[in-house]
Amino acid sequence: MRVYIITFIFGLACSVIYAQKVSLNGYVKDQANGEALIGATVLVKEIAGGTTTNIYGYYSVTLTPGTYTVEFSYIGYNSIVRTIELTDNQRLDIELETDITELEEIVVLAEDEDANVKSVEMSVAKLDAKTIKKIPAFLGEVDVLRSIQLLPGVSSVGEGSSGFNVRGGNVGQNLVLLDDAPVYNSSHLFGFFSVFNPDAVKDVKLIKGGVPANYGGRLSSILDVRMKEGNSKNLEVSGGVGTVFSRLAVQGPIKKDKASFLVAGRRSYVDLLAAPFTDGATLFFYDLTTKVNYNLNEKNRLFLSGYFGRDVFRFDERQGFDWGSVTGTLRWNHLFNDRLFSNFSFFVSTYDYGFAFGDNDLDKFDWESRILTYTFKPYFNYFINTNNELLIGGESTLYDFKPAQAVGVSDGIVTDISLDEKFSLENAVYIDNTQKVNNKLTLKYGLRFSSFHYLGPGNVFEFEPNEPGFRKSVNEEATFRANRWEVIESYANLEPRASLKYEIGKGSVKASYMRTAQYIHLVSNTAASTPIDVWTPSTNNLEPQIGDQYALGYFRNFGVGNDWEFSVEGYYRDNQNQVEYVRGADIFLNEFLEGELIAGDGRAYGLEFSLKKNKGDFTGWLSYTLGRSELQVEGINRGEWYPTRFDQTHNLKVFGNYSLTSRTSLSANFTFITGAPVTAPTSRFTQQGFIGGHDPLESRNNLRIPPTHRLDLSMTIQMKRMKKGKERKNKDELVISLYNVYGRRNPFSVFFAQDQGLVNLGNPVDTQATRFSIVGAPVPSISYNFKF
Amino acid sequence: MKKLLLIIPVIIGLMACEDPIDVNLDEAEPVLVVDAWINNKPEPQVIKLSMTQPYFDSSQPPPVSNATVMISTSSGDILSFVESTTPGDYIWDPSTSAQGLGPIGTEYQLRIETDGETYVSQSVMNRVPTVDSIKFTFKEERNQFQPEGFYGEFLSTDFVGEGDTYWIKTIKNGVEQNRPFDLTIAFDAGFSQGGVIDGVVFIQPIQDSVNPLNEELDQIVPYQVGDSLYVEIYSITNEAFFFLQELQIQTQRDGGFDEIFTEPFENVPSNIVNSDENGAEVIGYFNVSAVSGRGRRLLN
Repeated sequence: MRVYIITFIFGLACSVIYAQKVSLNGYVKDQANGEALIGATVLVKEIAGGTTTNIYGYYSVTLTPGTYTVEFSYIGYNSIVRTIELTDNQRLDIELETDITELEEIVVLAEDEDANVKSVEMSVAKLDAKTIKKIPAFLGEVDVLRSIQLLPGVSSVGEGSSGFNVRGGNVGQNLVLLDDAPVYNSSHLFGFFSVFNPDAVKDVKLIKGGVPANYGGRLSSILDVRMKEGNSKNLEVSGGVGTVFSRLAVQGPIKKDKASFLVAGRRSYVDLLAAPFTDGATLFFYDLTTKVNYNLNEKNRLFLSGYFGRDVFRFDERQGFDWGSVTGTLRWNHLFNDRLFSNFSFFVSTYDYGFAFGDNDLDKFDWESRILTYTFKPYFNYFINTNNELLIGGESTLYDFKPAQAVGVSDGIVTDISLDEKFSLENAVYIDNTQKVNNKLTLKYGLRFSSFHYLGPGNVFEFEPNEPGFRKSVNEEATFRANRWEVIESYANLEPRASLKYEIGKGSVKASYMRTAQYIHLVSNTAASTPIDVWTPSTNNLEPQIGDQYALGYFRNFGVGNDWEFSVEGYYRDNQNQVEYVRGADIFLNEFLEGELIAGDGRAYGLEFSLKKNKGDFTGWLSYTLGRSELQVEGINRGEWYPTRFDQTHNLKVFGNYSLTSRTSLSANFTFITGAPVTAPTSRFTQQGFIGGHDPLESRNNLRIPPTHRLDLSMTIQMKRMKKGKERKNKDELVISLYNVYGRRNPFSVFFAQDQGLVNLGNPVDTQATRFSIVGAPVPSISYNFKF
Repeated sequence: MKKLLLIIPVIIGLMACEDPIDVNLDEAEPVLVVDAWINNKPEPQVIKLSMTQPYFDSSQPPPVSNATVMISTSSGDILSFVESTTPGDYIWDPSTSAQGLGPIGTEYQLRIETDGETYVSQSVMNRVPTVDSIKFTFKEERNQFQPEGFYGEFLSTDFVGEGDTYWIKTIKNGVEQNRPFDLTIAFDAGFSQGGVIDGVVFIQPIQDSVNPLNEELDQIVPYQVGDSLYVEIYSITNEAFFFLQELQIQTQRDGGFDEIFTEPFENVPSNIVNSDENGAEVIGYFNVSAVSGRGRRLLN
């Protein structure tokens, strides 16, 4: 806490130094619904410079007193130019009007036309809700996570895998934030959909490299999802009826321009339709996303947002499997003065899953696992002058891991096989400055200091060394029980971050470096990430993961109004303490989990190409990634480097949207990904009638399965806007889509196994390789969306 | 538990599909395979020696003949296994031998000499609990996976003290159920080492494991009047448990939605070693079990 006070005083001191200047500040919002606009440009013509709004839509420019012409602009909106006589600090809130009345234009980059080139940010992918809605989607339901997988450097192991991979990192190395709160598992229905309801999402930003110091805790990327604040002008109802689920969102003012709310819900209904055929077996999900915000006065705003969702998968009334997340965020924006913007967030997040088996209360098996975290996060944004913008803040998270709460009952005899809860505390403080050196050169540099404490109560184990790659057994004599809040192990890391942009001609060169530390690990020994993966803290036996990433890129825009955007980026990542598993690792219901884990090194490198067309009847993008992702772990693959399961040499994504008429548009996307590597045996052996596989060389991921490629199409037809010469209040549309047009059986995996039937001893047993595809046919769908 | 995951494709597997494909695997030198699972039942005991074969070669494994195979016990007995008329099968018959496996707790050394190399291994015979009873219960249809009918279960109580491991075999109407999904092993009274369930009746899913699946692996086949069920518990060493656990992961593959939850291929850990560290590779397992069993016929 002391550090926060020091940084705060430092912040105030800065404001004294620059006190002879005055500032122009305020919020930039959408006139139609009062939503704050993130990243809107504020350009002061006289100094040919300015700023952009922060994530809450706030801006502040510091100037010497005088008369200025200021332009407020945001792509897709009409710019506003104001002449301002600035004698003293002045508050100026601006509302921009959208410049499209009939057809909603697609905006690939919801920012200034040349932000791609001018901004110091690199390795960042953004999508706004409008773009996401144009992408042909599985079963007609647009999805945030499946959409970002169309961007360079982002991929997944395949249909049916939860989460996503960024620049050769694993799923657990992405920090997924929903209004600041971490989401520990972002999938519905085994990854076919994500927890983010597109009706409630305002802005999605994925940071793959050069991560600013205000983010941390994961090695690969930050996915920052911001929810809409809710229409502060009018009541708005929107929703959709689709093949798999229906959506409904209601938003509106509680008090006009002062307070607004948003409530958005979804429920899948395959189970309801299929109920007569499935004998009580069911699979469904639902979620509810809500947000309330309140402008207390010019200097204070409060936001309260939350998410609640579950997937339920029942075999019958007593037996099943369910999982879900809950997040809650309370935020307070406070303006200390015109140039010092602050935000204090407190959030809670939890993810849990459970299994239930058994016929009755005398014979059953129940198992639950959960992670629960509480975080406090102060953030100060100090607009020092037009050339410097400072971020100072901190973050403190208390983790409560409950790996298993499990009870078995056999013939009425109850056995509790629950594992101890584990506790830990993660703290971070940071400072980050964006400095415009001159018109060509901008620097962004910061430092994050993070620390982690593994806390009692709990049993503390030590493990006997063993041959690399084999299970380590616990040293019983060294085991002791730690007291409540006793610090069992501590780690601390300095994480420098830096990026620069230098403009050359019409383009710019950008470079970045970041070091990141990750203290909690997603333990998953399956081919793809699943809902039952377990988060576990760093301990005295498991060190934090450390990653370094270097990136270099060239950015260039072409065409009239910069409507073509091109970029190429190269990256190299070097990771330490990557988690791997001993042979036959048993990661569930295991008190000695740490004995099953081994650490190794990781590296990933690649080139990402991106070409986008942002405006016109035809819009879209092409993204291509040439990459490699490898691990080296003693005891695996003879100690040599081997590709990770998500190593994808070629990853090509093409998306296009064409406006056929003012009411009809066509979209297509095509994906090609090199086949994933799997581990295959070379030989077979017989043991007690069973056939096993064997590879004398013990190679890991030595076989490439066939490549994945797929074409999806969709057509959006807007219903008539006018009826009998009057404008209809209801803006509705029909979306017809076809997923996997040519019915390719893209492999999720290829596995090697013997015939599954009874074996007559003495008769030969077949062994074969089998391709398993989750979606093996074209999937048509139709959905109807409305808004009034 | 894994059996229950098989229901997933029943519910949502409409789109999923699987098909055999041709892949080119790396070639590898054949290595010696020892299949030495011995028990204290009064019947001839067999140790099989063979070589590995290319993965897609479904013929009988090439036998290894003319080897010397013997087990010596900690009580000083030496059991000689003699190659039978079936090449590669080495047999010791307790009914014609003056020597024996001895009581629970006896330790064993396996020694195999072939092709100028010597391979050795150790095991111990652990305690095994009795099967106290077998019962059949008529159950209503619970879901597609568990239809109406008679379900068998066995009652047996794990010894107090952690670290007992067992292989439970089901013999239905005289036929040992040996599909990959029939392979049932227990660590104390539960499924795995980590969650300690010790000194109690085997947990329900293990008691229920005596109900085999149909050919399509999507439904349990209940017992019918006249069917018999014989359940055997084999004590195995902890290491043998881990060996079988990995063999389960490799073999229990029906290609359904539970593929999502399966672990990548790995060599199973062997407990046979070449006494010359730089000698030829060997894989396989040596385990000596004590066996208990009980049977029952479902009558009207």
